Amino acid sequence: MVALEDLKQEAKNVLEGGTVKYIIGYKKPAAGFMAVPAFFHKPEDLDALVWDPTCFHNLVLFLKDEKKRKLGQKEPDERPVGIVVKGCDSRAVNVLLQENYIDRENVYILGVSCGKTGMVDLKKVRKYFMGKIISQIDFNENESFTVTTTEGKVEVPATDIFADRCTECRTASPVIHDVLLGEDSVRTPENPFGSLEEMENKSQEQKWDFWQEQLTKCIRCYACRSICPMCYCDECVVDTINFAVYPDTPAEEKAQKIKWVEKSPTTSENFIYHMVRAIHLAGRCVDCAECERACPVDIPLRFLNKKLEKESKELFDYDVGYDIEIPALISSFRDEDPEDFIR
Amino acid sequence: MMTEEFEPKIVAFLCKWCSSAGSDLAGVSRMEYPSNVIPIQVMCSGSVSPLYVFSAFNKGADGVLVSGCHPGDCHYIKGNYYSRRRIALLRELLKFIGLEPERFKMSWVSAAEGTKYTEVIKEFVDELKPLGAQTKLRRNG
Amino acid sequence: MRKLNVYQIYAPVKKESHWSYEALDKPESIRLDHLNTIQSPKMIIFPQREVFFEFHNAEGNTPVMKEPASEPSATVIFGVRPCDAVGVTHQDKVFNGDFKDLYYWKRRNQTILVGLACDTPPSPHCFCLSVGGSPHFTAGFDILMTELEDFYYVESFSKKGDTLINLAGDIFSTPKENSKKDKEKAHSDSEKKLKRHIKNLETVPPKLKNMFDSPLWEEESLSCIQCGICTYLCPTCHCFDISDELDSSSPLSGKRVRTWDNCQFPDFTMHSSGHNPRPDRASRLRQRIMHKFNYFVTNYQAYQCTGCGRCIAKCPVGIDIIEVLEKVRDYGK
Repeated sequence: MVALEDLKQEAKNVLEGGTVKYIIGYKKPAAGFMAVPAFFHKPEDLDALVWDPTCFHNLVLFLKDEKKRKLGQKEPDERPVGIVVKGCDSRAVNVLLQENYIDRENVYILGVSCGKTGMVDLKKVRKYFMGKIISQIDFNENESFTVTTTEGKVEVPATDIFADRCTECRTASPVIHDVLLGEDSVRTPENPFGSLEEMENKSQEQKWDFWQEQLTKCIRCYACRSICPMCYCDECVVDTINFAVYPDTPAEEKAQKIKWVEKSPTTSENFIYHMVRAIHLAGRCVDCAECERACPVDIPLRFLNKKLEKESKELFDYDVGYDIEIPALISSFRDEDPEDFIR
Repeated sequence: MMTEEFEPKIVAFLCKWCSSAGSDLAGVSRMEYPSNVIPIQVMCSGSVSPLYVFSAFNKGADGVLVSGCHPGDCHYIKGNYYSRRRIALLRELLKFIGLEPERFKMSWVSAAEGTKYTEVIKEFVDELKPLGAQTKLRRNG
Repeated sequence: MRKLNVYQIYAPVKKESHWSYEALDKPESIRLDHLNTIQSPKMIIFPQREVFFEFHNAEGNTPVMKEPASEPSATVIFGVRPCDAVGVTHQDKVFNGDFKDLYYWKRRNQTILVGLACDTPPSPHCFCLSVGGSPHFTAGFDILMTELEDFYYVESFSKKGDTLINLAGDIFSTPKENSKKDKEKAHSDSEKKLKRHIKNLETVPPKLKNMFDSPLWEEESLSCIQCGICTYLCPTCHCFDISDELDSSSPLSGKRVRTWDNCQFPDFTMHSSGHNPRPDRASRLRQRIMHKFNYFVTNYQAYQCTGCGRCIAKCPVGIDIIEVLEKVRDYGK
């Protein structure tokens, strides 16, 4: 288990010493109990730092902002950014390093281990505690959480309220770090792609009915894309308003921009958006499930990405985010890649 | 009342150096094969982006074919190896969301395989006819 | 309900983890135990996508335009919360004035809002009292229902509401003597249950007038991911974009379509020259707060916020508008 004081101390050391510009971590929200992202610029700010099972957010997405901010500055501060990462988040950092989007010197990684239990899922907590007001959730040594409500403390088995993605997690502790707090453990889930089984056993018509109902709800807020650490393109190919236009872009180029998808949130256009995003994340998605959490209309987006993660593993023996030396999934190949589907 | 038999529309992305040349050979040799194909020549099967495939279905294609050079024969050396991977992933994704898997195919057709090209198209059309028109991914609204 | 089958009825329906307005054809499917819907009635009165007209090139290349065949039908939106009804009145203000938006008003004039007063706050983030509303506010409603012990106390505020009540006839009866007092007690009790408030909000609009260049916006927008959830779910936000969707380029045919737009998207203010006057998150957060608590107050003498709390509940990174407003209010102290 990670002692919060140790984490604060490590963070204070690097911030006081000037090793890092600022630290991205978690704090308690103004109202509610799920931790929210926070930026700590001064060592005394770190008193507000928290570490508990509500720290679900993947903070690696803010490294995108940091890079874009530096690009806009004439004399950027080249010191690294400190960031608190969990196991899944650390693989996201690895993917960004693998793709040379950031350099190793740009991040100072404060790794924290989730131990045996992972993070809680807000919807499951709300359902379990129907209407009760929760103020705090804490880790325990065993496989349970302690939830504090206005009526007192309750011990809840982790399996009742932790996130689906945590059931299939193999990285309980960060695979890359400058500092590691908590045990360096590895989880071996029995069924790493078990959540897909129910879906894969459906008939084609049942699958279609499911996805059509889900993707009709989509309002194209693009939260799934914005919160994903891997979606860092300046110009998203399926967002017709997001063309990267600069003062020196010539008129001919602007006139030739292709519109692949209409702006309207109709079902067919939503399908293209989500499928293209899933394909662009093949071999890059680390299953942090932030896209699903961010979605305001509760589309189970995790399945789309998980399916391709499974195929990458089974067809091409590709693991995402462990080795930064290997090439990207879709710009590499093996002689033995399957071709039984090719006429 | 005459009901016309359903004629599926196939959009075929054919690599210029092999598959497109193969289709030309079929034409020049006056081989008969169904006229349901809308051929689109691409430089290499590796250049076929998933967006092309989704866009074809969005605009009403009943079937989509991607065809390239045999492994080892790619004009750009490695392009078809990349497309082999990417199309495999694309196939799995389309199957996962419930599209009939028979609607999306890939083939290796070389410049000398005019006959094979006609066979690929004939088989594709025969498989698509009972499925009817593709309405799932077609643009609606 | 039988006589009411000339109306298209929308009511909250429970999905897996949220409530959503859906068109209903069976009166039995209506439930009144909902909290609040994920999207406000804005999605029905001012839909996210609306086709203005269709066009195609007829013979000789003459352009032909055709309005959509179906006219909006008389609509009843059932179970609306007071904050959302106030939101509709704000949209009414914007789409009225010197230029009346005909597409909006065609729908709006056909819409009857039947509300349900909140006996407990639907969301832990409700703050309607702080922005001039309340759990039983009547603005925007044609009919408001308040749940009492054995029945609902129903009030009508408009001709449309009266028509509806007359159509329903025998299910209503005259209220008993004490009912009005009971209703008023229920209303004042509900006000006490609100958990979140912003004190002295009235000091914020004048303060904002001098805060255009404040570094506060940069600090508060550091975690914003530009997703646009706050704007799309907001009952009062109304910005839109108009574009042409082509079905075919030759011969030319397509539709002119209005869709919601979002000031939090990075390209909202992108000019075709490439210049973007709101190029960063700080300027876009500032715009959101200024529009709601400064410009709208100047133009329409009301906050462009109804206290529904959706932006707080659904922000993926926990940005809290109450927290931001409190920081504005206390800035420099």
